[in-house]
Amino acid sequence: MNWARISSVAFDLTIWLYLGAMVLSFAYLAVRAEALRVTALAVAIAGVAANLVSIVARGLAADRVPWGNMFEYSTVLAFLVVAGTIVLVEGAAKIKTLTGFALMFAVLTLAIAAMFFPVAPSPLQPALNSYWIKIHVVAAITGSSLFAIGGIATILFLVKDRSERRALASGGPPPAPIMGGAVELDAPHDLLSDPEDPGISTPEPKRGGVLPSAAALDRVAYRVIAFAFPIWTFAVIAGGIWAQEAWGRYWGWDPKETWSFVTWTIFAGYLHARSTAGWKGRRAAVIAVVGFVSLLITYYAVNLWIVGLHSYKLG
Amino acid sequence: MTTSSAPSVRRSVAMVWRSLRSMRTALILLLVLAAGAVIGSLLPQIPNSPERVGRYLADHGLWGPLFLRAGFFDVYGSWWFVLITTLLFVSLAACLLPRTRALLRGLRQRPVQAREVDGFRHFAEVTVDSGPEPAASAAERLLRRRWYRVAREGTSVAAEKGLFRETGSLLFHWAFFLLLVGVIVGKGTGFTGRAVVTEGETFVDARPNYAGQLRTGRYFGGGFTGVGLELVDFEDRYRRNGQPVDFVSRVRFLDPEGRPAGTEAIRVNHPAEVEGLRFFQEGFGWAPVVDATIDGEPLWSSPIEMTRDQAPPDVPATAMPWRGAIKLTAPEPDVMVTLELWPDYRAFATSQFTGRPVPMLVQFDPYIRYAVHVGELRDPSRASTDTTGLRRVGGGDLHAADTSTFDVPGLGSLELSFSELRQYSVFLVSRDVGIPLVLAAGILVLVGLIPALFVSRRKVWIRAEGLAGGTRLKVGGFALQRKDSFEEEFDRIVQGLGGADAAVRPHERVGTP
Ligand code: HEM
Repeated sequence: MNWARISSVAFDLTIWLYLGAMVLSFAYLAVRAEALRVTALAVAIAGVAANLVSIVARGLAADRVPWGNMFEYSTVLAFLVVAGTIVLVEGAAKIKTLTGFALMFAVLTLAIAAMFFPVAPSPLQPALNSYWIKIHVVAAITGSSLFAIGGIATILFLVKDRSERRALASGGPPPAPIMGGAVELDAPHDLLSDPEDPGISTPEPKRGGVLPSAAALDRVAYRVIAFAFPIWTFAVIAGGIWAQEAWGRYWGWDPKETWSFVTWTIFAGYLHARSTAGWKGRRAAVIAVVGFVSLLITYYAVNLWIVGLHSYKLG
Repeated sequence: MTTSSAPSVRRSVAMVWRSLRSMRTALILLLVLAAGAVIGSLLPQIPNSPERVGRYLADHGLWGPLFLRAGFFDVYGSWWFVLITTLLFVSLAACLLPRTRALLRGLRQRPVQAREVDGFRHFAEVTVDSGPEPAASAAERLLRRRWYRVAREGTSVAAEKGLFRETGSLLFHWAFFLLLVGVIVGKGTGFTGRAVVTEGETFVDARPNYAGQLRTGRYFGGGFTGVGLELVDFEDRYRRNGQPVDFVSRVRFLDPEGRPAGTEAIRVNHPAEVEGLRFFQEGFGWAPVVDATIDGEPLWSSPIEMTRDQAPPDVPATAMPWRGAIKLTAPEPDVMVTLELWPDYRAFATSQFTGRPVPMLVQFDPYIRYAVHVGELRDPSRASTDTTGLRRVGGGDLHAADTSTFDVPGLGSLELSFSELRQYSVFLVSRDVGIPLVLAAGILVLVGLIPALFVSRRKVWIRAEGLAGGTRLKVGGFALQRKDSFEEEFDRIVQGLGGADAAVRPHERVGTP
């Protein structure tokens, strides 16, 4: 078997493993049997391993870094989203219920790549053969994967927050006032409130329900997005350096540049909203979801439908 | 303006200023800016693709003119985009000035002692054997070792850390002003242009040589360097499947007096810089050298930079022939010879006999078909191959190193000799002195952003009170961000104060304020 073949077999295997892990994760959400969760995790880790093999083998087949076209970006994105969720969300933040949704995102990403931009491993075009593009792309995919995890967590937050509100409305204790802008009693009043404060009405996480508490989802979403933001910023800067070298201008408002700027601005808006009285909680979450949609447009629509210097999907 | 309205003007200015100072305004401006950029990416833009704007206007009788009026076809240059950006920067300054002043004050001030230590979110008591003085000194040392700024008053200690958060945030935000300066200075005083140079020829940096392909900034002083660039050789290499591998122009620079000033290889992603001018590899093409004489009188002798026909769908661009023209204005009437170049004769022959397009990646027995037109030339520029107003009187063909003669009725014998086929290279030339500033701004943005997001502010107070045979240390503290990780740090401080076996009475106040 040559490397190209290994890569393609590992790619197919990855999809199946992710799909299996996804089904197991959702089954865990339904019945909450710890054995199911552990099995799902094991299958997902096997999928991550297969995904990694697929990426590395592709690099060996083409004799270059394996992130040179849309198909390859998607493979790396799926890898980072699943691995990132396992390490950051399930591992560090101890939220066990996001993994199924992250796997769903990864399966969709891989399926779209296989359907719409399959390309055999091949060398890069001269324009893409630069030191900076490698850095730029790594940062952009890493940032994207983290924004995606944050986006998924935020969508789930909105769903959960709504159901918690409903539960409160029908007989629970009266909701606390919105905390937006609240400052702790013992903190000097000229300081801004903590962006990590969820600023949502539910006073105490309630047990039960399919998802973790809204407050926990909100916190993990904020942390992941705050982590992604500097990485994305760096990706945009590295892209500018590359554009300067390749095209003689660091910024030209081409569609890809414009949309990465839009995505950046929306997430900057999100970070501000987290520190703005009255914008915490649901409003900030809506901004993050808009940012997530903008990210998907940056990633897919620009490459597929809007032409620009960046449209090298066939490269 | 009447005198009575002055205070109300002042009041409304103050109101605008106050609303610009609010974070909510900045947030909304940011989102509106994003929405504006979205419009710019969905509609064709005049600076990038004027012909698509024209087509859009023709196709959308209703919306087109409305969008045009609103500046939607030149979003990034439109008055409203500039206005939003300006407001954002004013808002930024309005936010930053007081915050910067407060930070400078905070940096100078020492941490302030608390009146009551036990009112804070985290509180613990530790008893140790030493006296209050040494216990307070030990506490001070412990906090300094943990990078706190510490103030001591008798046996009370106040400490804080995390001013980096605000410092980083301010650095990050101020860096946008540097970015703005870099962009305005760079684009304003600079220019971009396009240089077309055939192998063996020299391009000189001077206004007329950019042949209409020049965009100068608003404050461009008009100074061109007179530096020369001689294209020694251009090379394009491909894989067997036709995929490009490398494009490289080997050039020799000449100073304004024409003396050699070094050689460079310019490739894609590898520009060359000389005297603040940067040359980027942008394109290339074929330039046959053809001499034309009429009745033995030389009228034309130079390379002709050809352009390639637009390829139909499913035909590789490299399979298309190249076109150019020789324009002779000396004879009466004018003569124009349009040329069709096939750099590879085999491709021409194959496509003639089988209709199958064949990519032409190297020159192989280059072949030219030509047509002769007479009449009055409308457009004498070298680039245009437009023959309207001219009458075609015939044509012929020739291979490299051939000569072909054609009798132009009423004028004489036109002799064309195709001596060689060279390549030309297209360079984007730009001067932008703002680039170092923009790069510095980018670096400062990143350097500021990381502490702005990840450092948290924490405060700790310790008071040592003498007991019989020892000291009671009261420890209080809180964090403004990352409260959960402060919990651990607080525990560790308390343990550090008393040692593992000290009597610790931790106590945490919970609940929202
Ligand atoms: C040019 C566009 C701007 C961008 C890209 C931007 C970006 C950011 C970012 C990324 C943060 C960090 C968020 C955090 O610490 O949680 C931040 C914080 C902040 N920004 Fe901006 N900002 C911009 C404009 C402004 C303006 C115009 C103001 C003034 C109204 C402002 C006021 C603040 C404040 C007060 C913070 C501190 C929030 C905190 O520490 O939690 N920003 N900004």
